[in-house]
Amino acid sequence: MGHSHNTIAFHQDKCDGCGECMTVCAGAKSGTADTLHSRLKIVPSIAANDSFELALCRQCGDPKCVLNCPSGSLTKNHKTGVVPWDAEKCVDCLLCTVGCAYGGITYNAAAGHVMKCDMCDGDPACVKSCPTGALEYNRSAEIYNNYGELEDLFVPGLAACQGCNSELLIRHTMRKIGSNAVVATPPGCIAGMGTVGFNGKTGSKIPVFHPLLTNTASMLAGAKRYYNRIGRDVTMVALAGDGGTVDAGFQSLSGAAERGEQMLYICVDNEGYMNTGMQRSGSTSFGSWTSTTPVGETLHGKTQDAKNMPVIMMMHNCEYVATASLAFMDDYYEKLDKALAAAKRGMAYLHVYSPCPTGWRIPSESTNEVCRKAVETNFVTLWEFAPDEGLRFTHSTDDPLPVEEYLNLSGKYRHLDDAQLTHIENSVERKVAFLNGFMLATSDDGAESLAQ
Amino acid sequence: MEQTKYLIAGCSHAALSALNSIRMLDQDGSLTLVTKDDHLPYSPTVLPYIVSGQSKPEKVKLRDDEFFAQNKVNFISGAGLSTLDVDNNSVTLQNGQEWQYEKLLLATGAAPAIPPIPGLTDTPYHVLRTMDDAVNLHAALESAKSAVVLGGGLIGMHAAENLIKVGVQVTIVEMRPQVLPGYFDAEAAKIIEQTFIENGVAMRIGNTVVGAAPDGEGAKVSLDSGDEITADLLLVCTGVAPVISYLEDGPVETDQGILVNDCMATNIANIWAAGDVAQAVNFYSGEKSVGGILPAAVEQGRIAGMSMINDPAINPYPGGVPLNTYGFFGNQAISVGVSDENALPKDTEVLLNVNEEEMTYQKILIGEGCLLGISGINTDFDPGIMWQLVLQRVDLEPVKEEFLSNPTDTGRDLMSRTWR
Amino acid sequence: MPDAALTNEPKSIVCDGNEAAAWAVSLAKPDMVAVYPITPQSSLVEYVSQFIADGKIDADLMDVEGEHSVMSVLHGACLAGARTYTATCGPGLYYMFEPYVRTPGMRLPIVMSVVTRDGLTPQSVWGGQQDAMMLRETGWIQIYCESVQEVLDSLIMAFRIAEHRDVMLPVNICHDGNYLSYGVTKVFLPEQEMVDDFLGDKDTNWHVALDPDRPMSVDPLTGGEGPGGPSTFVRYRQGHCAGMQNALRVITETHEEWERKFGRCYAPLIEEYRLDDADYAIVTIGSMSGAGKDAVDVAREQGQKVGLIRVKTFRPFPMEALRNTLTKVKAIGVVDRSVSFAWNCGPVFQEIQAALYQLKERIPAISFIGGLAGSDITGEHFARVIEATGNQLAGDMTESPVWLNENE
Ligand SMILES: Cc1cc2nc3c(=O)[nH]c(=O)nc-3n(C[C@H](O)[C@H](O)[C@H](O)COP(=O)(O)OP(=O)(O)OC[C@H]3O[C@@H](n4cnc5c(N)ncnc54)[C@H](O)[C@@H]3O)c2cc1C
Repeated sequence: MGHSHNTIAFHQDKCDGCGECMTVCAGAKSGTADTLHSRLKIVPSIAANDSFELALCRQCGDPKCVLNCPSGSLTKNHKTGVVPWDAEKCVDCLLCTVGCAYGGITYNAAAGHVMKCDMCDGDPACVKSCPTGALEYNRSAEIYNNYGELEDLFVPGLAACQGCNSELLIRHTMRKIGSNAVVATPPGCIAGMGTVGFNGKTGSKIPVFHPLLTNTASMLAGAKRYYNRIGRDVTMVALAGDGGTVDAGFQSLSGAAERGEQMLYICVDNEGYMNTGMQRSGSTSFGSWTSTTPVGETLHGKTQDAKNMPVIMMMHNCEYVATASLAFMDDYYEKLDKALAAAKRGMAYLHVYSPCPTGWRIPSESTNEVCRKAVETNFVTLWEFAPDEGLRFTHSTDDPLPVEEYLNLSGKYRHLDDAQLTHIENSVERKVAFLNGFMLATSDDGAESLAQ
Repeated sequence: MEQTKYLIAGCSHAALSALNSIRMLDQDGSLTLVTKDDHLPYSPTVLPYIVSGQSKPEKVKLRDDEFFAQNKVNFISGAGLSTLDVDNNSVTLQNGQEWQYEKLLLATGAAPAIPPIPGLTDTPYHVLRTMDDAVNLHAALESAKSAVVLGGGLIGMHAAENLIKVGVQVTIVEMRPQVLPGYFDAEAAKIIEQTFIENGVAMRIGNTVVGAAPDGEGAKVSLDSGDEITADLLLVCTGVAPVISYLEDGPVETDQGILVNDCMATNIANIWAAGDVAQAVNFYSGEKSVGGILPAAVEQGRIAGMSMINDPAINPYPGGVPLNTYGFFGNQAISVGVSDENALPKDTEVLLNVNEEEMTYQKILIGEGCLLGISGINTDFDPGIMWQLVLQRVDLEPVKEEFLSNPTDTGRDLMSRTWR
Repeated sequence: MPDAALTNEPKSIVCDGNEAAAWAVSLAKPDMVAVYPITPQSSLVEYVSQFIADGKIDADLMDVEGEHSVMSVLHGACLAGARTYTATCGPGLYYMFEPYVRTPGMRLPIVMSVVTRDGLTPQSVWGGQQDAMMLRETGWIQIYCESVQEVLDSLIMAFRIAEHRDVMLPVNICHDGNYLSYGVTKVFLPEQEMVDDFLGDKDTNWHVALDPDRPMSVDPLTGGEGPGGPSTFVRYRQGHCAGMQNALRVITETHEEWERKFGRCYAPLIEEYRLDDADYAIVTIGSMSGAGKDAVDVAREQGQKVGLIRVKTFRPFPMEALRNTLTKVKAIGVVDRSVSFAWNCGPVFQEIQAALYQLKERIPAISFIGGLAGSDITGEHFARVIEATGNQLAGDMTESPVWLNENE
């Protein structure tokens, strides 16, 4: 399997054109503040006011600049992914610049040579300098490299809906965790798509079972205790829906967490009982259409806010609690790592927001977009909590996009009126404010910002 | 008879680019690269720097044995193609080997075209196409004090500059009224010529050589003006011609070069051609013509390779566009597409910006709202982006004002928005 | 009864039924005991917890947050290979019901004491078998004890029965709340090595496991109309029924083995007391049987040809043993400590009626219901039972049910 590489991603909607990245790049690479020496170029967009575009080497997988180079001064380093430029071999013919359709390698007249981004050895200065988060060092390639060759522990052809976020999640998760695990998939989409199988046929290559909707954490706890007793280190994993977690399964989860049972409990939150016809759960968000909070003359969707389960879990003696979204895969993998380590000591709880194309009325190809927008509007916040480290955001909650940009993507919110919208906006703000307060009170980051 | 799935003749840009495409999808199919040259792959473009000594032959190789081993390439050098038997899908090499192929790519490039100048064959002269040419020429500089370069094209100009930089007195003779025709218009060429003159090169523009004769160790050439020039060293750079001798009397269709379709396929099944050897369609005219530039060789090689492995991602060759990046005495001249509006319809918009003082020049040609060509001296724009604007016929109408005043940033903006 | 010849000098202690159960657990060496307290079971789990705390029992103690999780953690542990035990009753049992019902379907050999309790409403914390009788169609094995010693002995035997490869089903050992749970008496403790030898190695998950070394799907969706669905489901049901039927044999053999090893003899399925020359009999279940036997003795002294039939194994229902026994008498009276609401009689009575149907000759029977919610079934009550039962022989029929305590 090929090698994949990290990239510098540009989130255009966050760029305010301040140019700090260019100044920093010029400084880092040429020791001057003159942005003429910057290897990335932010340019104002003619199409839209206050919008900016980026020209930057994409470290192409099949770089034409390299093929165009007559002197061997450009190569593709398949290990790092970077296309390095060797000044000594270069004959300044500029043919590379003809090959690049992205303005990624350009002639620097002041220096008399071409110049291009070298990713600062995997720690790009521009990204660190970007005050708005418009530049991001995307490490998802590492995920592919690290896990791409690991075995997918589920069979092909699971019967999930098109665009299902949960299927993506379980395949990634178990690939990472490996086969020395026992997996519980309580009633819900993950079981329903056939992971445990039907009539003697299985959907998994690992020990997997249907707990009851109500007892996932308890069953895993029992198995884990016995494995500990006989000295075998087996990882217990719950791949549970929100119904089986925040509603019927809550008590057993609460008890297991309080007792410090060693397991990784992943709640895949699609905000309702999506497997069985899209009924409301305690995790269904305010205003949502579901089949039991329908929209009609008198009722207009759910009239209560969702239970904030991850926050509840913070108060449960867990070793680690985090929220995640698959639009931020590298973040998820980092959390998965920490959660697995924590699951050796006690309860690790991951709450993954998981839009449901079928139940939420979203086109199947836009699941990831919905995931991303949820985070960018603060509807969903990404954070992690460990008892001795406190709470830390892993995605800034500053300057969110308007919540409407998220709500507009799902049919389940189509009917919202102004009052409902206001309610949601307020509750999003309240939730973020609460978490921020909690962060300030519990973490070093928070202590620092309090001191300032 | 030896067997190979893929046989590639030539090991320069077109060949290596095709190799790249093939190995993208087929990592194991047997692949043989045969070349006439005795060296590891190198680019002819780098040769002027070998001549001047700026680059060393061993430093400019484009691929090495390790690469070939890693990519399972059977590399046979010093053994050019001598005959081709299309009925048998086989070739014979100059070393006598016979090879049967499933798919054959002809990427044998071009070789200097020697003009029919009376006496030239009896006169010692140099050309510059191969590494050996360059090494010989570099050695000749040891003793040479003067040189005459026939041809003010890219190769001649490069060579001349490198010669004067090592202290050789150089004269360039160009029969056409300007240097670098096809890439720069007369006005831009004038700036370039002027720079050469200022740097001590004697320019004989619009002069035709009518005779040549040996002159001691050196040579003497006579011009149509009646002048005679003697020099220690004669360098002939009057153009190139595709290397197709091995096709003589065969069924592969040729004109000036090997005729190919938009997937670089020849008229014979399982045979492709790419690079300087191929005669492919021109973007503007739609006619097939030989090109002779490196980016075209890379592009054609890429497409040929994709076609050879049936890569579903293949896009047909959009046609050749003149492209040139030309550095001279610390200046940069760049040209993408058409540079001379005289060849274009009357309603072509021309924006010309010349500042002789600062020695900057820029010309933008726009037709029907699309970029037709842009050329400049000491003005910066991204030629790769411009090339795509031409090929994709991106509508510049909404941004014309900005584009004309700042093609660099506007180009980047358009690029980022159009093919982000 | 407990003084048969023993191979070793027996060790005896004085304790109640809950403590006796705890001793049995200690001797059976489970890997995991999960507990949640509930009256009248609480002292049992307290004893077990103390034993674990004292190191007398080397087991994981899981004091979880409710009976639902009690059974669930045992599921997990058992699927991983553990020998497991718990105890509950009444409301705790009802709360446990979801995983409880699932246990036999997964063929998990979990052993659980039911310290029987009446209820749920009217609220009652006292003895009665209403809770245990509710479990009749859940597919568990149910054994009802008469004495504290029998509680201890049966509980140990239960592990062997449950784990037997022809059975592989969970077992409930029922001992009556109040009478047995708190009734103090002298009991003999078997030797640990002998118990080890008797039970052998634990064998809990050879057929179904959550084990990375033997990856399998546990309890995939089964049935429906898909290909092989109905037949697969039927096979599971048939297997379960077959395990139940096998259990009759295994329970019997286990009791025989117990007698050989430990010298104490119990009727494994149906106990006959003074039945050989009896004209009629009363039928009992659980701890009331002692008082019933005394009443039979008294009646015998008065010349009544009465005997007693005790149902020890209620699930599987010992149809054949019961049929053989019932052919010996011409009339019966069945005393229940619970109610079958639908049949307006006691549940044991109801089921014995079904057994009677299989006899060549019909004999009359009366349903007596007594001892509800901790009330007594005394000698005097049994005298009434014996009298009314005997009267049937002369054609003097009593309408069922007779509520023994309705005027107290
Ligand atoms: C001095 C110089 C300067 C140049 N500068 C520029 C420039 O600035 N910009 C630009 O765009 N282009 C420039 N060019 C042109 C550019 O180098 C060519 O367009 C390009 O190299 C074409 O690549 P190709 O693979 O088609 O053929 P070539 O590079 O010509 O390679 C042909 C290959 O075929 C092999 N071969 C030949 N005959 C046979 C045979 N019978 N059998 C097997 N193998 C054979 C050769 O050994 C060689 O490996 C320059 C050329 C020269 C000579």
